[in-house]
Amino acid sequence: MTTTFVDLDVRPTLRDGGEPFEQIMQTVSALGPDQGLRLLATFEPVPLFHMLGSKGFTHEATELAGGDWEVLFTPLQSVTAVNPVPATANDTTEWPEPDQHLDNRELDPPEPMVRILAAIETLQHGEVLSALLCREPMFLFPELEKRGHQWRGGFEPDGTTYRILVRVARNSEQVA
Amino acid sequence: MMPGVTLSRWTMSYFFAALSALIAGEVLMLAGFGYPAASLRAPETLVLVHVIAIGWLSLLMCGALFQFAPVLIARRLYSDTLPLPALLLLIAGLGLLLSGFLQLSGRLPDLPSLLPAAGIVLSAGFMLVLWNLGCTLWPARPLPLPARFVTTGLISLALTVALGVIFALALGQQTNSEPMLAIAGAALPLHAAVGIGGWLTLTAIGVSYRLLAMFMLAPELEGTRPKLVLALAGAALTIVVAAGLGAILNGASLSIPLFAGSILGLASLALYGADILHLYRARKRRTIELNSRMAIHALASFAAAIGLASGLAILGRLEDGIGVVVFVLVFGWLSGLGLAKLYKIVAFLTWLECYGPVLGKMAAPRVQDLVVETRARKWFRVYFLSVWSGTLTLLIGLPTAFRVTAALMLIATIGIVSELVRIRLLSDVAARSGGPAAVPRPHLLFSRPSSI
Repeated sequence: MTTTFVDLDVRPTLRDGGEPFEQIMQTVSALGPDQGLRLLATFEPVPLFHMLGSKGFTHEATELAGGDWEVLFTPLQSVTAVNPVPATANDTTEWPEPDQHLDNRELDPPEPMVRILAAIETLQHGEVLSALLCREPMFLFPELEKRGHQWRGGFEPDGTTYRILVRVARNSEQVA
Repeated sequence: MMPGVTLSRWTMSYFFAALSALIAGEVLMLAGFGYPAASLRAPETLVLVHVIAIGWLSLLMCGALFQFAPVLIARRLYSDTLPLPALLLLIAGLGLLLSGFLQLSGRLPDLPSLLPAAGIVLSAGFMLVLWNLGCTLWPARPLPLPARFVTTGLISLALTVALGVIFALALGQQTNSEPMLAIAGAALPLHAAVGIGGWLTLTAIGVSYRLLAMFMLAPELEGTRPKLVLALAGAALTIVVAAGLGAILNGASLSIPLFAGSILGLASLALYGADILHLYRARKRRTIELNSRMAIHALASFAAAIGLASGLAILGRLEDGIGVVVFVLVFGWLSGLGLAKLYKIVAFLTWLECYGPVLGKMAAPRVQDLVVETRARKWFRVYFLSVWSGTLTLLIGLPTAFRVTAALMLIATIGIVSELVRIRLLSDVAARSGGPAAVPRPHLLFSRPSSI
């Protein structure tokens, strides 16, 4: 898979004394799955390295003539790049790589929910399931909650594919 | 936070009450009570119209919104308790309203008039509905497009109820206010246009965008056209209400506001038609289920109603034929779509209630195992054929033949309702497996919320 880069030059904003952070985040969230970001800045944007690293991007920074910097942010081909929304606000821990992947985008509702709940029963405590859907699974969440599993989900940058990660809690009856 | 959406406890109760009212309305038509045997403004016709508009369509829509408005905005319903007192108030208010109309017709002793009390009780019921849905929608702003259709529908409901209360006070001789009496004397077209066009049709359009896309695996509609549908419809309603009331209070004719509103409304509906064609063409699911096929019949009835209204208007006969147009809109479009979608919704909600908790833990039937489409299909066919032939008898002016078609509508509706009861009681799951269903049967009239 080849990565194409979207260019973003925040040097004019910085020279005008502006704050480019929001502009950068908007550009990043609009990136496609195989797209990276080529950022031009007036300094080495070290805080961004960590920020985008947690969103699944590696970086490669080069100092240009005149003291400006060019940074290439390249997406890792992993699910941590999906911009996951935590199920609970204080749930910021790293989850292990998924043990099972499902692509449920072409299935009639409620078949995606049926497959996810069936797959979860085959997983061990702490294992993670990843599933692609064509819409937010509104009726699945209460069922996951009742069984004590944790989940994170969000739309992919394409805006139409919804990815959900479920971390299985095995003693679900007792937890619920 | 992603709370998801749980089963709305009282939605099935609304559906049951609504279907009972539909059957009652069809019995009235079969009996020759109200239009076409009586004139459009006769008290008997008012009884029939409100049994259908409030008892059937509004209760159906409220029950569906308690379940699906939360889905449109990915939030839980504000209160899962309020729908019950609201339903009881609406049923009591409808009873008072119908009694009040029967007083007007001299079939019940007329003093004191029950209409003012009906206005108070009905508006209390609708206010509870609006409060609950309003508190659900308000925190979700900015609203996604289908929810904005629903919001416009709810505002129209509030306006329809407000006009209705003014009529009730005036007919019950509880007001001497000149503006109120002027409105009561002339605003009937506004009450009907905002009720059928704003509340029932716009809400149905908003929900149909989402449900049709969901059940046919079509991409959600985006872009400017659906937004334009809403903007034009909103403009049409604003003109009809604001300019219409202005005209009434100044003693002017309603024809200009109604004409301007119709033109904007037509433009909106033409764009909606294009959207729906696009949805059917862009669907990924080639073989569509009965509910989506029957929805096509409802949409065709909608188009036919618009064509009929335009034709009559061109011939200058719209005033004589408005009853026929309303009949096609109400029974072909709104009721047809309602029955078709109920066939899917009842199956889906029942499946979710019964099998959601055991999914993955035992072999569960599919949603389609709860229904027998071949059996239901014939009832739907009879329903639409009888509505369309009923329309013809009304156009030609054959009241006796109309009662025969009403009898067929009644039989078809009872057939569809019996299919819905079989779905709800898991009868066909049991028949297919050759034994009782492995899960407890749900209650016919309400859902048991799963314990979270």
